[in-house]
Amino acid sequence: MMSIAILSHGENHFACSKYGGEWAGPDGDRLTILVGLLKKVPAASLNLHTFEDFLDYTPSVSVQDIVESSTDWRVDEQASIHLHASKSNYILALTTSRDEPNWPLFDALPYDMGMKSQLDEQWKIEVEGVSQGAYVSQAQHTIATPSRLGLKAQVDHEQLVWPPRQLNASGKRIESANEQLSETATILTWTRLSAAGAPSEFSGRAPILDGVSTVLVQFPEGPKGVFMLADDEQNDPAIDASVGFDVRRLYGQDGMMHYGLKAILLQS
Amino acid sequence: MVDVAMVGAGQTKFGNHPLGLKGMWAEAIEKAVNSVDNGFDSTDVEEAFIGSIAFGGSQLGNTAALLTEHSGMEGVSVRRVENACASSGFALRDAWMAIKSGQTDVVVAGGIEKMNDLSASRKRYWLGVSGDTEWERLAGLTFPGTYALTARRYFHEFDSTHDDLVHVSVKNHMHGFENEAAHLRKQVSFEKAQSGFMVADPLTLYDCCPTSDGASAIILVADHLAHKFTDSPIWVKGSGAGSDHLALHDRPSITQLRATQSAAAKAYRTAGISASDVDLAEVHDCFTIAEVLATEDLGFTGRGLGGAFAREGEGRRNEGSVTINASGGLKSKGHPLGATGTGQAVEIFKQLRHEVEPERQVRDAEIGLTHNVGGSGATCAVHVFGRQR
Repeated sequence: MMSIAILSHGENHFACSKYGGEWAGPDGDRLTILVGLLKKVPAASLNLHTFEDFLDYTPSVSVQDIVESSTDWRVDEQASIHLHASKSNYILALTTSRDEPNWPLFDALPYDMGMKSQLDEQWKIEVEGVSQGAYVSQAQHTIATPSRLGLKAQVDHEQLVWPPRQLNASGKRIESANEQLSETATILTWTRLSAAGAPSEFSGRAPILDGVSTVLVQFPEGPKGVFMLADDEQNDPAIDASVGFDVRRLYGQDGMMHYGLKAILLQS
Repeated sequence: MVDVAMVGAGQTKFGNHPLGLKGMWAEAIEKAVNSVDNGFDSTDVEEAFIGSIAFGGSQLGNTAALLTEHSGMEGVSVRRVENACASSGFALRDAWMAIKSGQTDVVVAGGIEKMNDLSASRKRYWLGVSGDTEWERLAGLTFPGTYALTARRYFHEFDSTHDDLVHVSVKNHMHGFENEAAHLRKQVSFEKAQSGFMVADPLTLYDCCPTSDGASAIILVADHLAHKFTDSPIWVKGSGAGSDHLALHDRPSITQLRATQSAAAKAYRTAGISASDVDLAEVHDCFTIAEVLATEDLGFTGRGLGGAFAREGEGRRNEGSVTINASGGLKSKGHPLGATGTGQAVEIFKQLRHEVEPERQVRDAEIGLTHNVGGSGATCAVHVFGRQR
């Protein structure tokens, strides 16, 4: 399930998308590459430096919240592991030096330049556009970040509860989400929305991608959830197939980019 | 306790309607008033409940007052009822309860929606706002997508295929073809419905209802007034409502609607009947799979047998065990969201009084039922109607 490429030289780790440094993929960017890299490297503390300046769009929650919700890493401006981002390419590095590293060359999968251009333009249109009505309060969006990006579940009568809720079925308050759901789940059912059926947030990208697939999955602990499928160009989903999860761009709205987990088909 | 009688009912033609909201509502009210055998004056109305999701795609306030002011009901106690596509099913229930409680004697329940003078993106927005925005919609689900997830799982769990849904589509288009109020008045062959373009795999265009303009209204009165207005009232014998988790992923099963099961049980109990007593039912077939589930959840067939029920033609007018969607249902008659629930009641009113087009009359019908679902099953209202009190 490698959607990014990683090169490691001693304590220095470099990453880009599987398409190389010039494109981060249909729903990727420097932030999604960062999360993918941090998940592959033993967790420690990270000095972000000026990383947010390298992002294409303002994230809906802080980079620190995204990193700390979706990985075991902690952000600390005194940390000795430094994050570097290439100015010209979608390549990142974790090094023990504050100095910008020499950027390596990566092998890259071929991709459709036309599709890349169309998607880049569509993301811009989407982010700059106003909400099509899919209202979620910013407070709720922020509060649910650990559950949305890190699969953190609540406990209620020894059962895990996800997505999070305020009160349980008996109207009693449930503590905040601290239990970790498994990082794989099983597909219960799936669909592929054609361009005509895509909701407005995705209606621009859906025809470029030849539709958007969505799966309803169940985690081994019991909770179920709906996720968009990513990296499914070569494989169709199937009931009972296994998926993992990856942080990706979900949608753009009101000047901000929203990130969340997408399901990735695991090879049987 | 007071019994409730329906003495008048009317609706606009569903579809791409030339009038705006005030015009459509006036037309529905006018038809309802004119259907009252012994005459009716709108100024007699004491309460009005009007279902609408978004009132022309916008969340305007005080819209019920605007509509009643323009339809001869100035000064009436009025409110808009919103429960997604079940809005006017719940308006009907609220009206029924208002009379049952003894607080009022003459009530209008209705619904309205204007959908076809909007941009495609605004229409999609509108159809998406009644699900779980945070965890479903923004994960890529539309309502076709939600019901597509259900359909694929249903085929996996039971002896059923997409062909069973095709049977639903063909039947409802056949029923709606003769309905002058229907949006899509065209018959569809099995082969054509089988090969429609994919909207949300496995659901094709012929599995999805259209988005319609329309308004509908019914007039309910307390039992002591019924025969003042007509010698042939239709009695609202039972009412039930239920709800469920908004999101599919929070439900124990996605191949049954607990809101329907709960609403039906209450409606049958208050009416003192069982499912086998129902002669015709207007069920909420926003997607063909929804009708398959409805036939099970309403008790017309057993769990997992809804596909076979459709395949064997059990819901065909005057052929099967119970006529399902004699009007054409949402699939053919159309689905103006907030107007659908009371639109179903209009059909039952006319069927039980033998006032529909002769070629589509359900024979010997005594008991009718309406089933109105909100969203993907988060809310549901079921009503039982009869010729006898």
